[in-house]
Amino acid sequence: MSKRVDDEIMNEEETTTETDRHWSQVTQRHYDPDGTEELTTVIVYAIAEARGVSPMELKSPPLYEVVDVPAIENTFFGPDVAGDSRRGIGTVEFQYTNSLVQVESDGWVHVYESTGPDDSGLD
Amino acid sequence: MAEEPEVSEEITTGVPIAAQSQRPPPDILEIEPVYEVLGHSRRRYLCYTLVESTEWSLADLATKIAAWENDIPEHAVETTQQKKVYVSLYHAHVPKLVEEGVVTFDEATETITAGQHAEQVLAALEGIGASLDSQQETHARGEMNEQES
Repeated sequence: MSKRVDDEIMNEEETTTETDRHWSQVTQRHYDPDGTEELTTVIVYAIAEARGVSPMELKSPPLYEVVDVPAIENTFFGPDVAGDSRRGIGTVEFQYTNSLVQVESDGWVHVYESTGPDDSGLD
Repeated sequence: MAEEPEVSEEITTGVPIAAQSQRPPPDILEIEPVYEVLGHSRRRYLCYTLVESTEWSLADLATKIAAWENDIPEHAVETTQQKKVYVSLYHAHVPKLVEEGVVTFDEATETITAGQHAEQVLAALEGIGASLDSQQETHARGEMNEQES
């Protein structure tokens, strides 16, 4: 069911946000809109993997309270309408507690953890 | 060009008086949420299971849904299959159903109980999907496993 490339780890890639935190990618998983795994499941599994915990342990908060996953599904992975694809191109980024999550329109979900000195969020 | 139509005070507030008076009482779920609730097969299935029992543990529901989706008996459901359904129920579908008042969720015991709008959603299911979803419903009632084994 799940793809082997799911476990591919890229530590080199880095990104910064407006808060000037330093983020390092910890893991990435691929979402297949035509597969059986839901995007919510893929995101939760990716965050759990990045933290080295079981997906069943990731409880608070439910992803539902953090981001509108069906909206991402509709925007990036929508169905073809009258023969035309409604699949947008881009990246959605959100924070789940201390993780930064990016969902790309090609289906890749990247999880970054903060490595910067501003880890506490306060000076 | 024609003259601009007069804009009444009520419209500028965003909610015309006429619409306000037509609103259903708050304890009745409006039609759009009903279809949103039923717009995903896992949520539909979860609603069907409320016919069999009004209370479920999240783990048992995940097993039941995994069995139905993979068309296998419940005892043949693998842990990975069950976990993936569990995660999607916990992080997406159950919060959605809680928000719409279809179920309540006890976080400590991870138990789902039919909520105030469950009956209405089940009535809608009966109306729109009785023939299409009959297999789903039969399976949700737990009869399918007995037939198979």
